Amino acid sequence: MITLSHFIVLGAVLFCIAVAGLFINRKNVIVLLMAIELMLLAVNMNFVAFSRFLGDVSGQVFVFFILTVAAAESAIGLAILVLLFRNRSTINIAEIDSMKG
Amino acid sequence: MIDPNLFQLICFYAFGVVTVGAALAVITLKNSVHAVLALVLTFFSTACIWLLAEAEFLAIALIVVYVGAVMVLFLFVVMMLDIKQEQVREGFIRYLPVGIVVALVMLVEMLALIGVRAMQAIPMGANPAAAAGMSNTAWLGTALYTQYLLPFEIAALILTVGVVAAVALTLRQRADRRHESASQQVRVNARDRVRIVKMAAEQPARTTAQPQQPGDQEAKP
Amino acid sequence: MGEQILNQLVWPIIYILCIAVPLILAVAMFVYWERKVIGWMHVRMGPNKIGPLGLLQAFADVVKLLIKEVILPSSANRFLYYLAPLLALVPAFAAWAVIPFGERMVLSNANAGVLYLLAMTSLGVYGIILAGWASNSRYALLGAMRSAAQVISYELAMGLCLVCVLVLAGSLNLTDIVHAQAGGKGFLDWFWLPLLPVFVIYFISGVAETNRAPFDVAEGESEIVAGFHVEYSGSAFAIFFLAEYANMILVSFLASVLFLGGWLSPFQGWITADVSPWVNWIWTGGFIWLFIKAFLFAFMFLWFRASFPRYRYDQIMRLGWKVFIPIAIAWVLVAGCMKYFGWVSIGTGV
Repeated sequence: MITLSHFIVLGAVLFCIAVAGLFINRKNVIVLLMAIELMLLAVNMNFVAFSRFLGDVSGQVFVFFILTVAAAESAIGLAILVLLFRNRSTINIAEIDSMKG
Repeated sequence: MIDPNLFQLICFYAFGVVTVGAALAVITLKNSVHAVLALVLTFFSTACIWLLAEAEFLAIALIVVYVGAVMVLFLFVVMMLDIKQEQVREGFIRYLPVGIVVALVMLVEMLALIGVRAMQAIPMGANPAAAAGMSNTAWLGTALYTQYLLPFEIAALILTVGVVAAVALTLRQRADRRHESASQQVRVNARDRVRIVKMAAEQPARTTAQPQQPGDQEAKP
Repeated sequence: MGEQILNQLVWPIIYILCIAVPLILAVAMFVYWERKVIGWMHVRMGPNKIGPLGLLQAFADVVKLLIKEVILPSSANRFLYYLAPLLALVPAFAAWAVIPFGERMVLSNANAGVLYLLAMTSLGVYGIILAGWASNSRYALLGAMRSAAQVISYELAMGLCLVCVLVLAGSLNLTDIVHAQAGGKGFLDWFWLPLLPVFVIYFISGVAETNRAPFDVAEGESEIVAGFHVEYSGSAFAIFFLAEYANMILVSFLASVLFLGGWLSPFQGWITADVSPWVNWIWTGGFIWLFIKAFLFAFMFLWFRASFPRYRYDQIMRLGWKVFIPIAIAWVLVAGCMKYFGWVSIGTGV
């Protein structure tokens, strides 16, 4: 029998993996973006689970909006990434330090 | 035969293991293309888990939106950018212990907060959409177009802004670009390109021999 | 216990085989038919040596491809190189699960059938992109890039066309969509009439989505050799081929189901005589009608290929983004009005 905790624990595990990904891939912007997508996915997992178990549609509506915003976010993020690579020919975050005082 | 509840649980664990494994692969794989594919697998198995929660519209929307569009964009960018692998990988080993420790601490905290045992008591009830007498899609759509109409419109606006921003950011006018106006090409007329000149048939010069017609030869025998 | 295993395991597998095996055979015959038809259109004979009328040509080709060596290009990504053909094939076959061939003749009568189809068709692009990238070849990568951009662009137009159908039918279930087209006026009740521009856009987008001529810049024999599968040989190439043709047949079936009333008869409601079960299908409808309609669309694929020169890449993009998508969006509004004001009669099923 699947219980609510199954979904939430899975969401938590995914979220923590994404956080670890942010830590260990500090140089690669693409993996950072992917880790953020993973975090959003973990959050969505919780929304879906709660919506299902509480019988409330709001959770799923929220997931719908998160999907929309995340799609727009990754489109703009990738556009910035392409621009960055075109101008600096690197996606290493450590080298993008021209704003450093 | 297997009890349906047990079968659901087995499915959940199978997809859950794939999800977690693929998520781990996303953050550890060396090759960015492989990492993107691992993320695709993560999304796919997550969609399967959502199907178990009977959120069929969102599960398929996740595949259509993420796997079908967003991840293709990622793949596109990864393939187009010529990224040096060693350069972006430096610091991986150095930050690995920190990453693991932080993630584990967070996980323990979250699990403590969730109170797994308390939640274990909540079984999956009847499908709320079915209880309302409609499919999951209709259930979601009814809420979306009545109660949440304004947020829905705002989401559409955000997407439009996203499109405009992405195009505005990456569009570049190169000086050496040879541009042809498509509408002009479509509107082109044969008359503007080729001028057909009527002229009287000319007699071939008398001195040269008449070339033999190929048709004549075949007709003779 | 035994009965349960039979119902839950054995029958579904038999149903799946009942779709997959004829599909593979149909692909083989379709390849033969394509070469024959294009041959006739070019005033040639087409294949005529192997078997009566050359009918066994496709099977000879398959045998030839299967016994050839699959060559792995140097410094290609081995894992992805072998994975790519499978990624192209699986969605092309999986999508057939929700196609209704007749009343209750459907493998999975899923409520979100149209969404499932959208998901499956959007997965097909991975096979192409990965094939292009894993081959470690410039031509292949160029073909993959072209194809990815093209497929995503035309998927939007296709999705908007589907939205029009959904608005009129009021359901995501393909069987319900066919039922919604039933009525007393036969083929005048089908969705092609109220959605005529969308119907045209849908089919042309389908041609573009399957990377067929005149939208075959992903392969583009004369410019980038064979595009994404230039490095593939033997059975790996055969799988790409199978996936491409299965997709063509799928688009043909889908166009028939969504716009030409699926298995419904064009004379439905005109004749009500009860002659004999062998003849009644002509006016009551049956899967034969679906096959006839799908065959017509499949033939149009070949007709296009024999008739039109290849589009230039920027022209393809322009057609998709600046022509098809605006028209489809406008027609969503029109379809909404049709539904709201009741301008079209929507059948409710049998």
